Parts: sequence; C-alpha cells; structure tokens
Amino acid sequence: MAVAATVAAPRSRRSASAWRRFLDAILARPTSAIGTVLLLAICAVALAVPMLPLAPPGEFVSDPYQTPSWTYPMGTDNLGRDLMTRVVWGARLGLSVALVSAGISTALGVVLGSIPAYYGGAWDDVFSRIFDIFLLVPAFFLVIVIVSLFGTSVVFVMIVIGLTTWPRSARIMRSQVLTLKPRAFVQAARAAGAGHLAVLFRHIVPNGLPPVVTNGTLLMSTAILTEAGLSFLGLGDANTTSWGRMILEGQRQLSLAPWLSIFPGLTMLVTVWAFNMVGDALNRFLSPQVREGTGRGAGWVVAPPLAGSAATTAAAAAACDGSLPADGDAPALLDVRDLKMYYRLEQGSVRAVDGVSFQVRKGECYGLVGESGCGKTSIGYTLLRLLPANGEILGGSVRFEGEEMLARSEASFRKVRWERMAMIFQSAMNALNPVQRVGDQMTRAYRLHRPDATPAEARARVEALFDLVGIDRGRMSSYPHEMSGGMRQRAIVALSLLLEPTLLIADEPVTALDVLVQDQILAEMEALRKRLGIAMILVSHDMGVMAETCDRVAVVYAGQIVEEADVATIFADARHPYTRALMHSVPDLDRPRERLLSLPGVPFDLRQEPVGCRFSGRCPLVEDKCRREAPPMIPVRPGHLSRCHFALDQRVLTIGASTGEEARA
Amino acid sequence: MRLRRFLVLRMIQLVPVLLVVVVLNFVLIHLAPGDVALAMAGENPDPVYMAAIRERFGLDKPLHVQLLTYIARIAQGDLGDSFRSRRPVTETLLERVPATLLLVATALAFSSLLGTIVGTWIARRAGGGLDVWVSGLAVASYSVPVFWLGLMLILFLAIRVPVFPPSGMMSVTGVAPGLARWLDILHHLVLPALALSTVWFGQYVRIARSSVLQVLSEDFVTTARAIGYPERQVLFGHVLPNAMLPVVTVLGLQLGLVLAGAVLTETVFAWPGLGQLVYESILARDTPLIVGSYVVMGVCVVAASLLVDLVYAALDPRVEL
Repeated sequence: MAVAATVAAPRSRRSASAWRRFLDAILARPTSAIGTVLLLAICAVALAVPMLPLAPPGEFVSDPYQTPSWTYPMGTDNLGRDLMTRVVWGARLGLSVALVSAGISTALGVVLGSIPAYYGGAWDDVFSRIFDIFLLVPAFFLVIVIVSLFGTSVVFVMIVIGLTTWPRSARIMRSQVLTLKPRAFVQAARAAGAGHLAVLFRHIVPNGLPPVVTNGTLLMSTAILTEAGLSFLGLGDANTTSWGRMILEGQRQLSLAPWLSIFPGLTMLVTVWAFNMVGDALNRFLSPQVREGTGRGAGWVVAPPLAGSAATTAAAAAACDGSLPADGDAPALLDVRDLKMYYRLEQGSVRAVDGVSFQVRKGECYGLVGESGCGKTSIGYTLLRLLPANGEILGGSVRFEGEEMLARSEASFRKVRWERMAMIFQSAMNALNPVQRVGDQMTRAYRLHRPDATPAEARARVEALFDLVGIDRGRMSSYPHEMSGGMRQRAIVALSLLLEPTLLIADEPVTALDVLVQDQILAEMEALRKRLGIAMILVSHDMGVMAETCDRVAVVYAGQIVEEADVATIFADARHPYTRALMHSVPDLDRPRERLLSLPGVPFDLRQEPVGCRFSGRCPLVEDKCRREAPPMIPVRPGHLSRCHFALDQRVLTIGASTGEEARA
Repeated sequence: MRLRRFLVLRMIQLVPVLLVVVVLNFVLIHLAPGDVALAMAGENPDPVYMAAIRERFGLDKPLHVQLLTYIARIAQGDLGDSFRSRRPVTETLLERVPATLLLVATALAFSSLLGTIVGTWIARRAGGGLDVWVSGLAVASYSVPVFWLGLMLILFLAIRVPVFPPSGMMSVTGVAPGLARWLDILHHLVLPALALSTVWFGQYVRIARSSVLQVLSEDFVTTARAIGYPERQVLFGHVLPNAMLPVVTVLGLQLGLVLAGAVLTETVFAWPGLGQLVYESILARDTPLIVGSYVVMGVCVVAASLLVDLVYAALDPRVEL
C-alpha cells in the first residue's frame, strides 16, 4: 500500500520492526483493522477495473431502471447502464483524486513549510503569516470560484483541490523543521560539511514527515468529498464517472429508482471512512504520545473495592513480619498491613507498593521519605484509593478509624474522602481547577458533602478557612492563576481542612515553593494541624522537611518501608544503609536533591522479581547473604525497625561519613 | 474599554485575510479566459450595461488602478450586479443570510452539544469497546457526503414515510403568520438540520474526546476525585469546562468547512439560503454572484473567528482580552 510505504521509508533502518508496529497499531482496534482491509480491497478493485469482466461504464447493457438483481447487483440507471460497473469506475476516479490532490498539497506544503522555517528570519515570519491567512480562507468556495471560472476538467479539479489545501501541510511541516533543526544529528550533518539544502531534504524533512503523512491521508478523504461535492453541484467533469455525478443523476429519480443514489453514496461513505480509519491508525503508530490508557498520562482514577479483602486481611496479619504493633491500649487511627499496589505493564508489573505496613496514631505526623520513584507517593494515593489507570491494589488491609477501607464500595468510600481523609496536593501541580474561582471550588466541595448547607453557610465556612490559613477573604473570587505560589498552597491547605478530616495526606506540600515560603507554610500547617488534632502522613523526598515536621518517619525504598523510627532516632542513629545515604543528601538544603548521586550502582528495578535485599545493588556493606535472602524488618529498639541484615552491626554506622566524602570528591 | 481595544486589534489582524480573499478574486477574474467585463457582466449583456460595468470598475485603466478600484468598491459593499437579475449582488446575498444562519446555527448548536457530550462520555474508558466503536461511528458521521445523506433522509423520511417536508423552508400553501408559521419553518428545518448535524457531530466527538483525555490527566481532576465527587460530576463539572476550550477553537477554525456543508445541504433541500444561491448562480453562470458569495463567506469566517476568540476569553479566565 502506497501510504504505508512512504511512512516506512524514512525509518528504513528499523523498517522490519516498524512494519510490525504499524501492523500492531492497525490491529489494536477492530475498526482500524476493518478500515484497512476495506481500503485495500477498494484499492485492489480500482486498480484491477480494466481487467475485470465488466462492460465499459458507458455501455448500455440493459433496459433502464432495472432494480438490483443477480445480474446487475446495483441495478441499472436511466440509460440502462450497469450501476455497479459505474460505481467501480467511480472508485478509480475517487482514488485518483485522492492521490493526486493530496500529493500536490503535501508536496507543496513540505517545500513551502520547510524552506522558510529552515532559513528562519523575516521570510519565515512572512510565510507563517501567509499560512495562517490561507487557513482561514474557505477552501471549498475558492475551489468553486476557480472551477466555475476556469473549467471543470477532472485533472484541473484535482490540481485546484491540491492547490487550495496546502497551508495545513505547510504549517505542520514548519513546526517539524523548527523542532528538528537544533537536534544533534542535524548539527552533525552540518558540521560534516553537508550543504543547507542537503541537510534540509536529507536529514530534516524525512524525519519530520510522519505527521505530514498522517495529514495527507486525511486530505485524501477531504479531496474525495470535495470532488464529489463539486460534481453534485454540477461543477464536475461531464465525461467522467464520478460518484458525485452519479448521486446528482440519481437525485432526479429518487423515488422511482432510489438505488441510483443509494449505492454510489454508500460506496463513497465506506471509502472515505476507510481512509480516515487508516489515517487514525497511522497517527497512533507515528505519534506514540497519542496512545492512551496506560501510565501516569491517564491521571489518577478511583480504585474499585478489593475483592475478598477479609481473607487478605487475615493473611496480612499473618504475613506482617515483626512490624510495629499498634501502640498498646490506644488503637491506631490508621493501620496499614501488607498493602500491595502494582502497575500493570505490557512486560509485567511494577511493584510500586510491595507489602507496606505501618500505623499512624491520632494527631501524629508520620513521614514517608525516599527518592522519587520509590513508591512513597503511590502509598499516599493508594490510601485514598486513587490509582493511575493501570494501577491495581492486589492485597493488604487499610483499617481507618477501626474500619476496613479497601472493602468499601466506591460510592461508600466517596463519603470517607475529604470528610475523614483529605489530601494536600503540591501546588506546582495544577491541583486547583483553573477555570473556577477558588472560593467557588471550595463552596461546591462543601455542599457536595453537606447537601443541607445553604450557600451562605458554605460561604461562611470557606471564609473562616481563608482566615485560618491567612488569605484575604477577597481572594475567594480569584482564579488560581491570579494567586502566588504560596497563596495557592495556602488555599490548598484550606481546602484540605474544609470538612475537618481526621487524617491528612500531604504529597510534597511545599516542594515547589520558594525556600523561605516553604518554611513559613510548613510551620503554619503544623500549627494548624496540632491545634485541630489532625493526623498527617507527609510524603516528601526532603529529609529536612521530615526533621521539621514529623513525629515518626518511614524510609521507603523500592516499594517497601526499609526503616521506621521516631524522627530523632532516624537522624541520630539510623540503622539502614539507605537511610544513612539519604540523609547525606540533606546538606544541600537550598536545592533539594531528587537523586542520590553519592550512591553507586543502579536503583532497584521495580519490574524485576526481587531476590534478596533490594538495596544490595547499591549497598556498600553488601555480602552474599544480602543477594540471596530478603531481610525482614529487624527491631533495633522499641519503635525502631530496619530492613537490613546488619541492622545491629556497628559497620552500618560508618556509612554516612564515607559516602559524604565520595559526594564531595 | 479593554474589550473594545481587543476587538479593534483583532479586526486589524483579520484585515489581511479579507484582503487575500479580495485580491484572489481579482486575480482569478483577470486570469479567467475571456473579457473581464464579460465575466463580470454575464454572457449576453447589452453594450450599455457593459460600458457601465467598465466605467464602474475602471476596467480600461492600468491593472493596479483596477485592483485599487476593485478593493475600494468591495470595501463599500459593492460586489457588482447579478447579471441575471441586474440587482446588486450584496443585496441579493444579504436577503439569503437569515435562512442560512438559522440552518447553520441550529445544526452547529445541536452537533457541538451532542458531540461534546458523547466525546466526553467515551473518553472515560479510552481504548475500551464502547470508545472504539463509537469513535468509528463518529468517523463515519463525517465521512458521509452530506448531500447524499440529505437525499437518504428525503427518501426515507419524506418520500417513503412522509413525516417531514422534502424541501423548502415554508409550505407553498401558505400558513397564517405567527406561531403557526414558525412551527411550519421548524418542520421544514428538521431534515436539513439533521443532515448537517450528523456530518459535524463526528468532529465534535473526536475533538471533545481527545481534549477530555488530555484534561483527565490534569491534577485538578485528581483533586476532584479525592474530594469525593462522583465520576459523572468529575467529568461534566470539572473536566468538561476545561476541555471545552479546544472544542471552541476548532469550531471557529472549521467554519469554512461548515459553510461548504451548508451549500451542499441547502442545494439538496432547496433551502433558500446562501448555499442555494451559490448553486443557482453556478447553474446560471452568474459570475458576480459566485465571486460575491465567496467574499461574503470570507467575511463570515473572519467574523466567526473573532466571535470564537471572545467566547474563548469568556470561558477561560486565564485569557486576558
């Protein structure tokens, strides 16, 4: 097929796998597969027309107005010509129009879009302005004017359609050139002494073609529709068998011989649809970002209840390896046991949360700290049962205020959300709706949970919260983009306190902010939280933040908690090599570090089947035992657990100093 | 005050578009085979009328003077006379505007509303069965040649089962003015509006779907879910207001295409609007009318893009006028 061939060409080095992936893109959807098969069939028939045992399209084979029958499957027309023959010849014309028009349009677009963009400067400005203007000029009418002034020969019509639709291709090509021009391989070709035009047409244009080609297939369907439309308006070539013309002729006998209009139109619909479906498949194949439904891109969605969770709870209790027992007589506010949440990928699963157990007491601040990608954020979201689209809670138990949360239905868990368990989002994230006033967002949320509240009551509540977090009440009518980062974060804190929850989950609440504002907001948040007696799980990569706010800290690595202790102990006497390494990323307080540069080795890949200690690949103390045997949580002292075979070994305590030296070296 | 400055500014930006349309027209008329005066006056004009046309458009002057005269004429709203009726083109065109406006506005409102809702709904489970088949159907809806769809509607809903009138805008027998007349017009409007809406519907499904998909990954959607909004409220209360913005943009950009569909639809249903006028002038080779309607379409597209900017600004508080 011509279309696919032109696509594969620039990628010929990887053509075998490219074909495979293109096939995958087609087969990914039944509709694309059907469209492709149909298009191939139509192309084959159109190509083979002269060889088929069909009478010439103009021959009078029978009496006029024969209804469809075995001999004449689509019937005969007013002159006694076989309609099916004519429809098939029409396909030949339609496809020619599609190819020629789209070809001219794409070629013009590529040349006019790439050259000015490559050279840049005033010409580029002029040309891009021209594209914009021509995009607004209604092309169909331009074609009508030209054709009615200059004639209706079908070749001319094809050329005119091509000439009036190029600006789109040109604009796409231009942006491709602008993106590709600064790339290394282009610069390398220049440095190797290639001339400008050679670089442009050998290196840039072939790599920039994919979206232009996709646009080309869509142009083809537009061209077919345009030509048919012209023919229907009487501006077609009287000497051709065009679908549009057939429909025009059929119109006169609409009630007498409806098949004359039905079949050409139906064929046309199928052809244009097939072109569009192939264009779609091409688009999915050529721009992977279009593929959707997996990963972070799809956002966080609501998780269904965990099936058979009573059983897993019992299993979890048994599996719970020496984790901190709930604090004597006072039952924990939140009791998480053996929580597992994996992301499904094509190649397997990512063990984002892999058997996590911890407890949070009433009014306590509990920190989850670790590098980005360790799973700490996933833990927080899993508690609220918000998961990426491919995330799945596989087991464990979350008891909150004495009640199992994972078993609740989605509808009944919605009542827990915000009412009892709320979240503080990172303000750099677009956590507030950009097209709603901040005050309105909050009053709406309030009235969602308190349907009996009058608007005035909701408003009063929001005003009180604005006072509480120190934002001027007048700001209720501001939009998020009208607030500073610090003020937005305060608004987010206010939103989280809206219904006085008992547990707050704060995900990097101040990371995006200026350092001075960070401290200020953190301190205010702490004061408020303590005053209202709200417990909080603070998720952060920043040990400094932990030190300032948390009562107890859990260090997360590779989907597991590797060390847990009260904050003073963690800082004074950490017993996991990872914790100690992590702490030595603290000195650089101004620029919180996301990656531990001081640690050699590759972080544990959450997709692999874990054998032994997950930190063994980077650990300076690693021994054979570590690679063989996964360490349990080892109690160091009451309330202090470490997932390291050497938790009680004095050598652990030497780690901080040496890695710190390495970092500086 | 700001609004006025914005409008003036945008209009200045849009002038080049109109200029291109007018200059294109000028160039095309002059390139066309045959005498320019003949092209502007029609095929069998009397000599007196030809002389008048030559005089009015300065056809015996140098080319650049002709161009300036032509632009000046059009700027004053003078598009020449229809040679068939000898009436000014502008007047003839303006008469037809209300009918087209009624048809286009109805179909646009219908298709964009329904398309957006359907697109939003299928975006929830992108890649799922419902999404795949509804998307396929949406593509089919804009792959239909609108004139053929019109014929099929006439065939099945006006001829076979005569529920709706097959053509025109009002009953020939005449209906008493007032409510009855409006109902009569509405009755005639159903089929053409249905044909046009179907063709546009698919576009809106697609745009809304991809736009909603993009917005779904935004953080404020997570916020809404965390707050406990039921999924439908998340979708229509939080996602849609944001996803509307690209829909509006595309609506404006595609107006040229929209009008093309209108011409074909009006032709099929003999709806007495601009489109049918274009068709009639093609049949009658009434060049001034064809060219004139092209200018008017250009003006409409430009005006619509202006309107879209205003709507966009009203929908998105981040856009400052």
